[in-house]
Amino acid sequence: MNLLWFEMVKTFSRWRTYIGFGFIALVVILTEVVMKLSAGEIVYRMMKSLQKDFLIFGNILNGWFVTTFIMNSLHIHIPFLIALVAGDMVSGEATSGTVRLLLIRPPSRYNIIAAKYVTALFYTAGLVIFLGLMCILPGLALFGSGDLILHHYGKFGLVFIPEVEIPLRMLFAFMAAVWSMTVVASIAFLLSTLVENSIGPIIGTMVVVIVFLVIGNFPFDFFHSLKPYLFTTYMVFWQRFLDDPIPWQEIARSAAFLGLHSIGLFFIASVAYGRKDIKS
Amino acid sequence: MGEPFRKEVVLKTSGLSKRFGTRWAARDLNLEVHRGDVFGFLGPNGAGKSTTIRMILTLLRPTAGSIEIFGKDLHKNRRSVLSRVCGIVEKPDFYLYLSAHKNLQILGSMTRRVPRDEIMEALDVVGLKSRAFEKVKTFSHGMKQRLGIAQALLTKPELIILDEPTSGLDPQGMKEVRELIRRLSSESEMTVFLSSHLLSEVELVATRMAVINRGELIVQGSVSELLEKETMGYSIQVSPLDAAINLIGKLPWIEILSAENSRIEVRVNPGHSSELNRLLVTNHIEVSSFYPHRTLEDFFLKITEGTSEI
Repeated sequence: MNLLWFEMVKTFSRWRTYIGFGFIALVVILTEVVMKLSAGEIVYRMMKSLQKDFLIFGNILNGWFVTTFIMNSLHIHIPFLIALVAGDMVSGEATSGTVRLLLIRPPSRYNIIAAKYVTALFYTAGLVIFLGLMCILPGLALFGSGDLILHHYGKFGLVFIPEVEIPLRMLFAFMAAVWSMTVVASIAFLLSTLVENSIGPIIGTMVVVIVFLVIGNFPFDFFHSLKPYLFTTYMVFWQRFLDDPIPWQEIARSAAFLGLHSIGLFFIASVAYGRKDIKS
Repeated sequence: MGEPFRKEVVLKTSGLSKRFGTRWAARDLNLEVHRGDVFGFLGPNGAGKSTTIRMILTLLRPTAGSIEIFGKDLHKNRRSVLSRVCGIVEKPDFYLYLSAHKNLQILGSMTRRVPRDEIMEALDVVGLKSRAFEKVKTFSHGMKQRLGIAQALLTKPELIILDEPTSGLDPQGMKEVRELIRRLSSESEMTVFLSSHLLSEVELVATRMAVINRGELIVQGSVSELLEKETMGYSIQVSPLDAAINLIGKLPWIEILSAENSRIEVRVNPGHSSELNRLLVTNHIEVSSFYPHRTLEDFFLKITEGTSEI
């Protein structure tokens, strides 16, 4: 526990850790203010296509809708913010030279690496929860509450979620988003154990995420056949909590696939670091 | 007469070797450090000192050989052994964004629970008590070096390993660190293992020493025994120069290395230095300076040439 506490102290004493929180606060508030100012235009566009087939009453541009919109828009930015800290967890100690003081202490490298990994996951969860709170609280304050009407990309029809069900579904969705992002944190963490500077793991993580996303979205049969094996395919499984009915089996499969990735990546990281010669 | 008193062996390496690719950074090192020693580990830059220290402190995995500390195999008893050992490898680097106190709290508590008083005490020993709560990024190199020693002392180790502890320090800082090392050894009865590329530094503080070059152990033993048999270099300011050269040039126990601008550089066999000085003065040669110098290079040259009696 001591090790974990000290990793937390080190991580949360650095300004780098708060870049992500600052970025999210800025972007989310800015987006919400702009959406508020353009509310009339947004509602007009939404209604224009829907009114042909549906009769819609009430506040459709509400805080829950804004939250879902921002969550969908930031799925490439959040991994970068996670990599910024998780990619520096181990390599940062090599860059600063503190690794030489750290690894000559009695605790084993496996314990040290585990404490660092848990800290990286804690930061990841903190960042996603912060994103959620930043979306929901000002969103509800600015746009009010209401039922959630969504159209999922590539799917037929609309999803209607009554207002009363939304908070619990959102809670599950954010928990799923945290779960997804642990894979990104694990990739950055693994890369961080292999090199001695922080830039490599940060860029490396983004390259992996972007390449996998691109491969998964290429409209060719070959790439389509690879899609089930790419972790990025399952990263947006948080959206399934906003389906009707909720596809629990699909969610369980996605969660298991991502969980196995995280465990595997951490296992490789701990074995690699346990055997690594510290030359820095 | 009984058996001579033998001190406990605190650190023992047997056939310790490390290879990086095709290059051997350390090869077949057999070191023995006794309790209470200030053990100087001497070698030129790139000789393999840091590699050896990194293996002793578990930062590098040996390619071959074993390390025993306090009579236990280091790798099988890592936790219990390292709780009694501390050190600095190369320059001491800290978490610059944390205070000196917080750094020591974090590093010290990884070995044992360290009360706040003990942290302040350790900072006091190295003269940093008044800066305890300032961020380390405001510290000079010398202060970081002293903080490095404080973090090593904090866990009250029985064996302290210091890699080039005076590196980058000004003369005053070097003197302070040397005095601290002497004090640790005499007052706290710690065994100190320190590496250096300066023979003069080792000579000033160490009781035993080992010399390595190109990863191989050249010699090991008591500092006084190793150096007393060693020829000594002297730089002598004389006038007139020619008369001095004529006088001492034929002596069997002296070798003139160079002579120019009234200065003669000589190498003298042990026990002849005062005789040389007397000889010059009694022959009416004015001696305005006469000082010894012994460089690591000279020492290496001698022992690697195989001309040393050591």
